[in-house]
Amino acid sequence: MDNSGLSQRIRSSLQREAMPIAMYPGLSLANARVKDVITNSQIQFDIQAALHARYHTKFVLSAMDLSAEAEAFGCEVHFSENEIPSIVGRRVTGIDEAKKLSIPKPGDGRTGVYLETVSKLRKISDVIVVGGCIGPFSLAARIVGVTEALELTASEPDLMHSVIEKCSIFLGEYLRAFKTAGAHGVLMAEPAAGLLSPRGLSIFSSNYIREITRSIECETFSVILHNCAAKNVHLPAILATGLHHFHFGAPMDIIKALSEVSSDIYLFGNLDPARVFCQTTRDEMKEKTNELLASTARFKNFVISSGCDLPPNCFLENLDGFFSAVEQYNSVYSIV
Amino acid sequence: MRDLHALYDAVLNGDSKNAKAITGEAIEEGIDPMILVTQHMVPAMAEVGRRFECNEFFVPELLIAARAMKASLELIRPLIANSGIQPAGKVAIGTVQGDLHDIGKNLVAAMLEGGGYEIVDLGVNVPPEKFISAVRDNKANLVAMSALLTTTMPSMKKTIDAIKEAGVRDRVKILIGGAPISQRYADEIGADGYCDSAAKVCKMAAQVLAE
Repeated sequence: MDNSGLSQRIRSSLQREAMPIAMYPGLSLANARVKDVITNSQIQFDIQAALHARYHTKFVLSAMDLSAEAEAFGCEVHFSENEIPSIVGRRVTGIDEAKKLSIPKPGDGRTGVYLETVSKLRKISDVIVVGGCIGPFSLAARIVGVTEALELTASEPDLMHSVIEKCSIFLGEYLRAFKTAGAHGVLMAEPAAGLLSPRGLSIFSSNYIREITRSIECETFSVILHNCAAKNVHLPAILATGLHHFHFGAPMDIIKALSEVSSDIYLFGNLDPARVFCQTTRDEMKEKTNELLASTARFKNFVISSGCDLPPNCFLENLDGFFSAVEQYNSVYSIV
Repeated sequence: MRDLHALYDAVLNGDSKNAKAITGEAIEEGIDPMILVTQHMVPAMAEVGRRFECNEFFVPELLIAARAMKASLELIRPLIANSGIQPAGKVAIGTVQGDLHDIGKNLVAAMLEGGGYEIVDLGVNVPPEKFISAVRDNKANLVAMSALLTTTMPSMKKTIDAIKEAGVRDRVKILIGGAPISQRYADEIGADGYCDSAAKVCKMAAQVLAE
């Protein structure tokens, strides 16, 4: 039985808890652009505080930005005003470069912004503060090139392991820094690993995550492993990380997954951020939310969420629809 | 001469070195290169696609199989060009303007090349003019556009509208794909097809070209 604070708070709740990965839809509430969010912890705090006031969220999160860690490793980043940054080029192209790759420290580059955000978010009372970081394989993939990384797992596994080992050392320290900063947990995003086979995911992701998190998780700090590309076939390999909280995207049949995991494993997800949150009306949004609420009603170990990070062009009114549906559901039903 | 089934196995298993070696030997033996392509390599890629759909193969297996096919095709292509045999189609492929993500585009390009299509890879962040130029100057008869972000999806409509304005819409079929894309969106913007999986793209390409 997992007795972490996060598990206890979900377990003890009589309501269906909700945790959409929502920072960017709140840009208008702080009169901010994406570029402001990813460089300024106060803006992140302002947005989360505004969303918390609007929706009475139990969870507040730092922004999902899968470029800050790679940037700290020396990768080139493309920034734009209203787009989440992306990595360009390849920092490592061969084993020699992999061996010479320096490991940054938590706080280097923009990684400090996310640590500061978490410290600030602790000022909001009675919430679960969740930081965010990338996972080891996804980070390594950004360093060597994502397409290249996938091929290299088959053609040059030693090169991949060399880079992933360094990523893991950094991420272990980064998680500790989030813990010190006051986070109750971290959402670790490992989407690239969902493109691997289950065996590949074990070898190049889960084995590392298990080692990174083994000595960090405790009663007051949990890691929520996010993998928006993972399918049900990947579930055993992902559970082998030994973690207790997992966040999935649309490719996962979440009902089937909930039927297969034990009751002390908590699953989060998985309304499609693009096709549902961005491309539907508010009423359609409520309908889709209600469908998922109804189909997961019998599972206490489920937190309803978006399948991934909500993009900047997700209308706030759709987020209104989502939370409205959850609130109405909770006014009628209890989770027992 | 090795059993040519070994060529099928080499492509299926992503063994570029062997695929190239067997192809080279077969060519020296005087085997018709089109037999190598149609009876061994294309069926191997079709099996790769089937296994991908069944969750037996995943993206890495797809990529290394496509690379093995490409290694063999490098030996065969000059022979086919000289023989006058045409590729299945000519595809101008790119990630749309504003978007730098290339993995979906790379996968689809690999599968289409494996399926006998000639590829004009325009890269990422591709403005409409480059797609138009590929249709007009490179004589592409298929345009394949990828977008990974909801904010760059509108570039797909912008590109289709620009292709219409340039007066070349009737010369080309347009396929779109990417994580936020749907059939509904493809219908809305006037694309000829939407593909939700790289493994299905060759079949989709053949279908739209036949329409």
